[in-house]
Amino acid sequence: MAMKFPFKRTLTFSITALVGFSLSGCVSGTESDSVTSPADGVGISNGATVTVYTGRHYGIEPIFEQFTADTGIEVRFTTGNDPELRERLIAEGANTPADVIMTADAANIELAADAGVLASVDSDILMETIPVELRGASDNWFSLSQRARVVISSTERVANPPITYAAVGDPEWQGKLCLRPSTHPYTQSLVASLIIAEGEERATAIVQSWVDNDPLYINSDTDIYKAIASGECDVAIANTYYLGRLLTEDPEFPVGIVWPEQDSRGVHVNVSAAAITANAPNPEGALALIEWLATDGQQQFADANFEYPVDPNLEPSQIVAGFGEFTADLAAVRQLGANQPAAVRVLSAARYE
Amino acid sequence: MSTTITLADSDGGEFGAARPARVIVQKARSWSTTALVSAVAIALSVPLIVIVWSVIEPSIEVWEELWATRLPGMIGETALLLFLVLVGTLVLGTALAWLITAYQFPGRRVLGWLLVTPLAIPGYVLGFVWIDTLNGPLGAREVRSIWLCALVLTITLYPYVYLFARAAFREQSQRAVDAARSLGCSNKKAFWRIVLPMARPSLAAGVALVGMEVLTDIGTVRLFNVSTIADGVLRVWFGTGNRDAAAELAVLLIGVALLLIFIERLARGRARFTQLGARTGLRIQKLSGSRSLVATTLGWGAFTLFAALPIFRLVTWAVEAQSTNQTSTVSGDFGFHLMSSLQVTLIAALACLGLGLLLAVAPNRQRPSGSWLPRLATLGYAVPGPVVAIGALVTLAAIDRLGWLPEGWLLVGSFLGLIYALVVRFLAVAYHGVDASIAKVSPSIVASARTLGAGRYRAAARIELPLAGAGVLAASALVAIDIFKELPITLILRPFGLETLPVWVWQATSESLWVQAAVPSLAIISIGMVLVAALLWSLERGATVAS
Repeated sequence: MAMKFPFKRTLTFSITALVGFSLSGCVSGTESDSVTSPADGVGISNGATVTVYTGRHYGIEPIFEQFTADTGIEVRFTTGNDPELRERLIAEGANTPADVIMTADAANIELAADAGVLASVDSDILMETIPVELRGASDNWFSLSQRARVVISSTERVANPPITYAAVGDPEWQGKLCLRPSTHPYTQSLVASLIIAEGEERATAIVQSWVDNDPLYINSDTDIYKAIASGECDVAIANTYYLGRLLTEDPEFPVGIVWPEQDSRGVHVNVSAAAITANAPNPEGALALIEWLATDGQQQFADANFEYPVDPNLEPSQIVAGFGEFTADLAAVRQLGANQPAAVRVLSAARYE
Repeated sequence: MSTTITLADSDGGEFGAARPARVIVQKARSWSTTALVSAVAIALSVPLIVIVWSVIEPSIEVWEELWATRLPGMIGETALLLFLVLVGTLVLGTALAWLITAYQFPGRRVLGWLLVTPLAIPGYVLGFVWIDTLNGPLGAREVRSIWLCALVLTITLYPYVYLFARAAFREQSQRAVDAARSLGCSNKKAFWRIVLPMARPSLAAGVALVGMEVLTDIGTVRLFNVSTIADGVLRVWFGTGNRDAAAELAVLLIGVALLLIFIERLARGRARFTQLGARTGLRIQKLSGSRSLVATTLGWGAFTLFAALPIFRLVTWAVEAQSTNQTSTVSGDFGFHLMSSLQVTLIAALACLGLGLLLAVAPNRQRPSGSWLPRLATLGYAVPGPVVAIGALVTLAAIDRLGWLPEGWLLVGSFLGLIYALVVRFLAVAYHGVDASIAKVSPSIVASARTLGAGRYRAAARIELPLAGAGVLAASALVAIDIFKELPITLILRPFGLETLPVWVWQATSESLWVQAAVPSLAIISIGMVLVAALLWSLERGATVAS
């Protein structure tokens, strides 16, 4: 909630809505609260409210508050899952109240771009701060932070962890592997990056070799880390930032990171991204927010979730810097969306759970 | 509710009219009633028709691929899960209801209430509590199994069967059992030959509800890596962006649900058991000594395992969250989330109840439209929440584009839009409860009222509703519990500034922050328990959820 909702007002609202509803049974509430209007949102604060749909919600509110403190522009936002927010944006079309959509994944924002609901942006600030590989092909979306999906392994039981994604499928890890189910965008993006780098046939073979290792599927990266710590598995694929959170709680957490593909294309990275919607009621405010997130708010945005800043001139937080330096597979980022359907196909064919 | 009262008032004015005129008026009203009910049914089925439409041109390649890969597995897992949960809830619900109805032992009355509490615990909450608790002893691999998933679903869903079974047992009369006993049946035999068969329609109705919940569940099955058809719909849709193929899977799901309803009708058969004479109830057997101890242990053991332990686990997490101040990532305060939840639940449940009453009272039962219109209007219960949400989203957005509403007003993202989608999904729960209790009112009483000149709505307001009052209350409580726990529709369609308790739970659990999810989960459970109390209170007063 960008807006704090006082108890009393909520009560009044519910009674108004109740009366409005039972009297008429159709759209006729006298309070504009019961129907969201783009004009409304702008009207309340004299064009200074930006409306955001965000699929990234962990710790997002303090960041928006800081933005408001810095610029005087209010942020009104709603959270949800990436694909559902995308569907909502597409369905709303010209009527959308959203100025900005933020996703926790590159594929989903690229699929929104394909559906034609994102606007191209001409901004010197964004062009200077964000590397070209981390922007949409027609500058219609912008990465704000990077997350690396790495091989992780037990520091107690594994001496020579795999150094490529393909090596995770080595029979050595039979019954000792943990993976995230294919329903999750992180898995789909990873496989999309394999298809981009090695082709669909080779990618299918790699995924098949993982499946043949009889992996334990856990739908939570945090729980995957914990499963290694507790000995349920020795090797897994997960994002680094969860380790950041776990190390804050326990500096001795017995799981280590391996940067895969360092002799070739680099580790698979996904991004948190933002875009201005094609029908944004307040495109100026939207641009101000994205520019702020790429510059003044960049450090806070990345650090809040132990991610890597997109601005190459900024350093990651201390814990994250401790994971070491790495080469990232930046070239794949903007192709992840186009390859996601193929990735889902590959995962299905291999009967990846 | 208001709908019926208004209509009844307008009926009152017509009471003294001359006879021929009334025949015309009634004919006209009969048509307007059919028109009204048809309009409601169409309005509520559009979101599903939007989704189902794609079946006209099936996407052959996608089906071939699905058939070669995941579809057989999805069908198999759905069938196995359905079978396990249906059998599990039937056995558990009936056995516990019988224990409470037939035997007297310490704490029986309180236990009768407490045994419904799992209904207030959302499956996705119970799921993560069990996974976290059993992770240590069983291991992460064994914990994520279809068996444990079935167990968790059985625990959260058995109260449906339990409630229906208790109501059915309550209504039975000792006379039939006594007659059987006098003919040489043992007590045990009388249970299997008399009591259980007579309760069959109610048990079938309870199990059918359970089946719908299992078929449309997403949150719980995903926790346990069980890949059902409902999960497949979302997997195809959101993974590949192929809405058509996802819709076709959804149609498959609706087909299975219709099959389930059909089987329920078969199980119910032509049976329309009306009890003779006053409800004397079954004789309660007083247990003593070791048998009393066994009954007490069984009943309280079930409650401890199904509700008390998970709730205790949540309480320890909530304490941990408070002491380590881990609630900071959540936006808004507790009262705000609670009020959001309450206002959505209150209004959506009232809307379901109003429309449920309309559908139950208005259609002429003798006419074919009288049976298929309500069925059309309540189809949303057979469709997973996210699919209903997207169907409603597309429908509402299309209306918004027509520009019929005043400048700047939109249905998508409005409170009304959210309520609409919730009604599409949950009307069935209210309708079936209301319909069943009204159907129990003897037709001859209603017929007498009609011959004395009362119109259909007047008869409904004066005769059927007061007699079915407790049943209507029970239906309201049941639908309110469902809406109070609802996540996917609220998540997709909620307006700005409205964050319900389940949304809070989602914000925490989608980041695996179980500890932070404890406080909102406990709030959902405690309010749910109040609703459960209302439900039981109305059942005590003689309501039946369905027959």
